[in-house]
Amino acid sequence: MAKPISMLLVILLSLTAFAAGVARADGPKYKRTVESYIVPDVVLVDQDGGRVTLRKLLDSDKPVIVEFIFGTCTTICPILSAGYANLQRNLGADTRKVLLVSVTIDPENDTPRVMSEYLKRYKAKPGWDFLTGTRADIDEVMRAFNAYVPNKMSHRPLTFIRATEDGRWVRINGLMSTSEFMEECRKAGIR
Amino acid sequence: MKTILSGMLRPSRIACTLWSAALLLFLSASSQAAGPFIPGGVQDDAGLLRMGERMYIEGILPSGEPMLAVVKGDIEVEGTAFTCASCHLRSGLGAVEGGVITPPTNGKTLFQPLKAYYKYVEVKSAPPRRPAYTDETLAELLRAGVDPAGNALGDVMPRYLLDDRDMAVLIRYLKSLSSELSPGATDESIRLGTVISEDVSPEFRDAMLAHIEKFVNDKNKQAGISPYRMQARRQSSYLTLSLAKWILKGPPETWRAQLEEYNRNEPVFALAGGITTGEWKPVHDFCEENHIPCLFPITDFPVVSETGWYTLYQSKGYYQEGESAARFLNGADEALKGGTVVQVVRDTREGRALSAGFEKTWLEMGHARPATVMLKPGEGLSGDFLKGLQAGEKPATVMLWDGPEAVTALKSFASSDNMPGMVFVASGYLGKSLYMLDEKAREFTYITYPFRLPEDEEKKKVYIPLVKGAEFHGDALTVMKRTYAVIPLLTRTLLEMKGNYYRDNFLDVIGMMMDMDMAPLYERLSFGPGQRYASKGCYIVQLTKGPKPVLVKKSGWVIH
Repeated sequence: MAKPISMLLVILLSLTAFAAGVARADGPKYKRTVESYIVPDVVLVDQDGGRVTLRKLLDSDKPVIVEFIFGTCTTICPILSAGYANLQRNLGADTRKVLLVSVTIDPENDTPRVMSEYLKRYKAKPGWDFLTGTRADIDEVMRAFNAYVPNKMSHRPLTFIRATEDGRWVRINGLMSTSEFMEECRKAGIR
Repeated sequence: MKTILSGMLRPSRIACTLWSAALLLFLSASSQAAGPFIPGGVQDDAGLLRMGERMYIEGILPSGEPMLAVVKGDIEVEGTAFTCASCHLRSGLGAVEGGVITPPTNGKTLFQPLKAYYKYVEVKSAPPRRPAYTDETLAELLRAGVDPAGNALGDVMPRYLLDDRDMAVLIRYLKSLSSELSPGATDESIRLGTVISEDVSPEFRDAMLAHIEKFVNDKNKQAGISPYRMQARRQSSYLTLSLAKWILKGPPETWRAQLEEYNRNEPVFALAGGITTGEWKPVHDFCEENHIPCLFPITDFPVVSETGWYTLYQSKGYYQEGESAARFLNGADEALKGGTVVQVVRDTREGRALSAGFEKTWLEMGHARPATVMLKPGEGLSGDFLKGLQAGEKPATVMLWDGPEAVTALKSFASSDNMPGMVFVASGYLGKSLYMLDEKAREFTYITYPFRLPEDEEKKKVYIPLVKGAEFHGDALTVMKRTYAVIPLLTRTLLEMKGNYYRDNFLDVIGMMMDMDMAPLYERLSFGPGQRYASKGCYIVQLTKGPKPVLVKKSGWVIH
């Protein structure tokens, strides 16, 4: 009995919550630039323990999005990952058409098991990979994307989107809402 | 409204009744924890608090369903991925990370006006930044993100879609959260404890205590010196510390009762360091159940757990060396890998811990379960066993999880016709006898080494202050160095707690701490929210040839 009541209440409350004007019409709070990066030739490890040559993985005809996160992060990463999860939901059945890559900045803790549990938590579908590696290799990847932080606790909310056409990366510094993220993806040719 | 909804949803008669009930509940928004709601049949306050804690920490409603929320205006999320604790932390005192500021949500802060401050000094002439929350205004905040002063919260804060019953449960929990300083703490003092089993040698005990006692004494000399009391308290220099030594006597089965007795008589805020000759498990369990943080006990046999919260270990000890051997072997060139993997395990705590770490990791990597031979204490390796190692075309890889006896075994391995491909041993378990390894055996023997290599340690020059009248050598020096890591961590933690002496805050602050790469012995000690083993890898090394062999790395820092 308790469950249906609570479900109905959730619906009711969500309606009133939206009526109360939760959504706000703020402009984008993030910084967008277009950059060229050379992806380093490093071998990383994915959530299944497989070895992945990063350059080969990213050298794809598909649009690519890269973010730097870590598995136990409590602030930025859950938001970035919720964005990935929403994008995948909007991609339809073929989620592999966009390559989503999360690269850890806490390689010592983010083992394949930690990463695969993380992806499960966000209901990740095929097409979203979480990569770890040696600290030296991870540092090299961060540096290549001008995203280096010496310590995971000083990380930045960065998103890199590469459209298929010119190979350049859209660098977004700041947290986006889903609609802003979707709009950036659309601009990069992701449908 | 009911007609419209009925039309939309075509409810059955039962559902109509439910709708009426739902509306009734919805309209009676003032009903609170003490009201008529009895979620899940739980009536007592402790039950409500447990349910509230589950909502706060796990994002699970009393019904068992995930909480639902909206983030950044339009990102729909489940509370399990976006729990309250994941941002506001277990203590509810919030955090600053990556430029995102999460304000405190503990009972003490929420239910009193938020004073206006300028550079940490209260501005009494200014009105409060917001009035104290009531149950109603707090519910409004959680649902719509607007505080009683009309300020909208940042859109990173999820707007939770909670019904009145669940809201009441959560609010009841928030009221209790970090509302009173933890046992062992006052505004100006903290009582620490350290656990020592009486069979620990006096040399090891002194080595473990040297820096902790020095820290407590130095801190107390500093306390009260500063004339700027407010500022001094903020900097934790006003704090006085005391250290209780909890000496455990008799067999480990009796330790728990002794710990409970000590804690009843003189509760401590947290345990620091500590050393026993046995396992750490009885102390670990005591800390879990009494919610007492324990920082860096000196043990090679920690409890390896995914859910343990209160004990922060330096590493997983021998278990971690086994883990690293599996990772190294998994990544090794095919040419190096043997045909089969055999574990030879001395039936001791060391052997079992090494074997458990290896086997769990090896299986996780998708390999077949290794054949395992258990050796009783004192039992030697037979010639038949060596013959059996040649399986198929490739020689076997052997995990030789044995103590100093392994050196003899390795000598016979080296002179056998059935030499194994690779043999792994653990440096700590072999101890000094490691350097007596047969020259021929050094070629195929790979050694797990969980610390900085000796020559790197010399180059690193980690500063450790001297303790008057205390000089340590050999293993006691290692105990002293391992314990020393407690000091910088404790110093920074006490400072960053900013007077909020709640045990969960102690752990939260450590979870948000920058990595330590200047600790003695360990390459890097790092935590993150919820991480409980600070050093996470291991080197794989070999011994050079010649009469004075040294260790050389055969791997980077093995972490995957």
